[in-house]
Amino acid sequence: MTTDSDITRLRAEFQQELARLSSESDLQSLRDKYLGRKSGAVTALMKSVASAPAELKPVLGKLANELKQEIEQQLIERKAALEATKAPVGAVDITLSGRGPSLGHRHPLTIVREQIEAIFTRMGYQVLRGPEIEDDYHNFEALNMPAEHPARDMQDTLYLEGEVPGLGRPATLLRTHTSPMQIRYMESHEPPVRIIVPGKVYRRDDLDLTHTPMFQQVEGLVVGEHVTMADLKGTLISFLHELFENRTKVLFRPSFFPYTEPSAEVFIGCVFCDATGCPVCKRTGWLEILGSGMVHPAVLEAVGYDAERYTGFAFGVGIERVAMLKYGVEDIRLFYENDLRFLEQFPL
Amino acid sequence: MKLLVSWLRDFVDVTASPEELGETLSLRGFELASMDRSAIGDRPSAIGHRPSAIGDHRSTIADPRSTIADPRSTIDDRQSPIDDAVLDFEITANRPDALSVIGLAREAATAYSLPMRKTPRKPLPAADPDNVTVTLEAPDLCPRYAAAVAEVTIGPSPAWLATRLQAAGVRPINNVVDVTNYVLLELGQPLHAFDVDKLAGKELRIRRAKKGERIKTLDGTDRALDPEMLVIADSDKAQAIAGVMGGSFSEVSSSTKTIVLESACFTPKSVRLTSKRLGLKTEASARFERGTDISAPVAGLERAVALLEEIGAGRARGGVVDRYPLPTGPRKLLLRQARIQRTLGQVVADTDVHRFLTGLGFEVGPAKAGPDHSARPDDMAWEVTVPTWRVDVLREVDLIEEVGRHYGYDRLPTTFPPLTAPTPPPAAGIERERLVRRILLAAGCSEALTFSFVDAALAAHFADADAIVPIANPLSAQFSVLRPSLLAGLLTALAHNKNRERSDACLFELGATVTRAGESRQVAVAWTGNAGAHWSGGRRPVDFFDLKGLVERIADALQVELAFDTSVVPAYLVRGRAAAIHAGGRPAGCVGMLSPASVASAGIGANENVYVAELDLQALAEMQSSTPLKAKALPRFPSIARDISIVVDDTLPAATVRGTIRSVAPNTLVSVNEFDRYQGKGVPERRVSLSLRLTFRSPERTLTDAEVQKAMDAIIAALIKEHQAVQR
Repeated sequence: MTTDSDITRLRAEFQQELARLSSESDLQSLRDKYLGRKSGAVTALMKSVASAPAELKPVLGKLANELKQEIEQQLIERKAALEATKAPVGAVDITLSGRGPSLGHRHPLTIVREQIEAIFTRMGYQVLRGPEIEDDYHNFEALNMPAEHPARDMQDTLYLEGEVPGLGRPATLLRTHTSPMQIRYMESHEPPVRIIVPGKVYRRDDLDLTHTPMFQQVEGLVVGEHVTMADLKGTLISFLHELFENRTKVLFRPSFFPYTEPSAEVFIGCVFCDATGCPVCKRTGWLEILGSGMVHPAVLEAVGYDAERYTGFAFGVGIERVAMLKYGVEDIRLFYENDLRFLEQFPL
Repeated sequence: MKLLVSWLRDFVDVTASPEELGETLSLRGFELASMDRSAIGDRPSAIGHRPSAIGDHRSTIADPRSTIADPRSTIDDRQSPIDDAVLDFEITANRPDALSVIGLAREAATAYSLPMRKTPRKPLPAADPDNVTVTLEAPDLCPRYAAAVAEVTIGPSPAWLATRLQAAGVRPINNVVDVTNYVLLELGQPLHAFDVDKLAGKELRIRRAKKGERIKTLDGTDRALDPEMLVIADSDKAQAIAGVMGGSFSEVSSSTKTIVLESACFTPKSVRLTSKRLGLKTEASARFERGTDISAPVAGLERAVALLEEIGAGRARGGVVDRYPLPTGPRKLLLRQARIQRTLGQVVADTDVHRFLTGLGFEVGPAKAGPDHSARPDDMAWEVTVPTWRVDVLREVDLIEEVGRHYGYDRLPTTFPPLTAPTPPPAAGIERERLVRRILLAAGCSEALTFSFVDAALAAHFADADAIVPIANPLSAQFSVLRPSLLAGLLTALAHNKNRERSDACLFELGATVTRAGESRQVAVAWTGNAGAHWSGGRRPVDFFDLKGLVERIADALQVELAFDTSVVPAYLVRGRAAAIHAGGRPAGCVGMLSPASVASAGIGANENVYVAELDLQALAEMQSSTPLKAKALPRFPSIARDISIVVDDTLPAATVRGTIRSVAPNTLVSVNEFDRYQGKGVPERRVSLSLRLTFRSPERTLTDAEVQKAMDAIIAALIKEHQAVQR
């Protein structure tokens, strides 16, 4: 005898089978199984309702009819859905790769340099470039490093054989920092000054994990009537927060550079251990990232500025160093090997 | 500078742990390189309480090595409860005074607001010793030379002294030499002891070395001297290189009975030059070349004599000879309160300024009205007397740094500099290079960065020998000359990739090249292997037109008209597959296939094809159109296009064909484009079929078929006449 529980069971069985089917032929056999004229389960159900007791007939009949309509409706919907997934005539395999010029890869040092340029551009700095071969005056003397100054040993210099025409004076060396361009700019411009100078610099260092005889810097210079060390702090902290993360801790520590006084080294909380101490930061939790300071009055005087009226700050950051920290590169030489397996990890 | 914390406590009662002390001094500019607890001495920290008899020093440390082997034995020692360690500080080049225990003690005393103590000295009368003559012949290189004579008994140093030296990284030798080293480490004043009996004529003569003079130094090396070097000589020969190293002849030995102790001030320049020329760096030269305290020589002797007596090593005989022909007074500087604020961006209280500077040994006069003679608080100023050991403090700003260091950089506010003028755009060259980079990246080339110096042999492929600029002091042959062309480095980079299974590679670089003519900015591309790789086909070896296309796209973007010709192509390119590039009649680069010899020079197989392009960015910049861009009105009338195919000699340049067409065409011809070039079946040997599309349009009216046909007839006639063209 048919009961309403039979109807519920039949509905559940159909739902399970419907969920499993994946082709139009499956769909047809499912229709036959439930709605077939001869052996369909629902057809049989309808027939058995006829033999049910008279008092149950109206209720069971209604339920059976509802089930039939429901199944019909769902089979129609499923058929439409299956048709929608079927490849039309002339369909292309959209999973194949697209055509077109493959894009090249920007060098990671360029990515970092352009990011630094963008940050300072938004802070109102002009981006400048200077010559890579320089004269002794601009590279050293005007920066408070006269001949025989011990600080010259800090930057072991590569010299040219003979002289080469330069800007103004003949060039005799490869610049050891981009500061000579700051001098050139101040020689030809009155304050206020707000510039950054990115570029390649050279030191007589052997190649190893952390040294290359050529590397890139961005140096910045601000000179004006009311420029203080507190301004230097504010500027560099917001720069580092944008370059790394907003929560990056920043530490300023006294240091020595001949062209700044007072001088400060700037550290960030170690990015590898979250400032808890690891081999990279020598367990200090800090990584040196910038050299900076208030422009030495002797430098301002060398370019003819009134050092009583004007003060300024300067800073320098190594691009390789930033890129190594940001991208987790452990060997600086990778930047100059130009191995495409390395370069292609960086986007356009 | 390795600082033993308990030694520092001879001067100042710092109770902070070594870690704290290291941190405190780090924040004042003395970077802590490392901390070591395994090599510590155990001298009681308060010198006044130290037993005077040497025998009272605890026997447990008689052998310093036992202390080193088990550091806990001293740390846990109840009699020495204060935490000890060796802190290794990096001392910046401007602070030679901090290359001493006393120097770092002053910093610690100031940081913790503690008083400084002095270590014992033996006052010596000023008097020439009766048996040694001292003659200062070169006061320009040695402004002060002091000496004292002592009778000594050579033997080992007591354990405490030896242990302290070892903790500071100095090897104990004998009691006399150890005392000189002890004073150097403690006060920063280098001393030297000569064996008086070895000095010919019993005299010390401070003079320039003679030409050809030689000396065997303490390290056993025989060294040649020159007349720019200062020596300490007896009546015969040089016995020491001033400020650098003593000679072995008059060295203190086990048989030495009488010594003369030297304590001098040599000029930094002289010592630096000598040290550099001899390639000899010592503890003494490191201090002299940065600058030592002109007031310290006599104090150094008095301290040394006190120590000799204390450890029973000897006794002074007579007084101290002090050659100091031109005594210099201490430097006085004006420090203005307003200037502190103007530099640091923070007002530092008068009491703090006073405390920091006096703590460091500066004498600070009473605050008085500044140069404006007003009574405003921000116009107050102090006259500050700089201690002679602070050779780095030359002007007001140096005092401000001292105030800032001890105030604490971390306590300064964070502000921003006022923007008082608009910011100009980046320099034109920077924008131009960004644009060129974007084009090449979009064309599929990857950016390389190579060193600006290359191997001379590689560079020789790209420039004449007399144009190449060598580096005077190169690190290696690999980096011996400045690159005359970016191609040298790019080829090396291509070779690197080829050796790593990358047969298809396209690299470009933007950068400077240097020749005898000067520095110039260039862009170069090097491409090898296949182009156009895609599953649908189109893969083919890279060729001349891939590179020429890149050059044309750059020219389009920079709005420069380029001309290509084959008259003068560089020797490193293959003639027939290369062109020189001109902008406004001026050489601006080249494009083409690299010669097999140049390819091989970079370590790539000579049979590999490498195509390159080089452009002089400055030459392009000078030809950039300066007329402002104006949009043209769109054409109002339709155009008529006609295609023709002609067969001509395969050596006839397409540009000549275009020229012939233009020469006879009416000005309604707006463009001529080749759309096919075919050689093979149906075309005779050494001939080529060239198909061109000609587009005609008038700005004033719709052209008629008849007039276009008339123009085409004339064009075809001209092509037949000029080039024996056959129409297909």
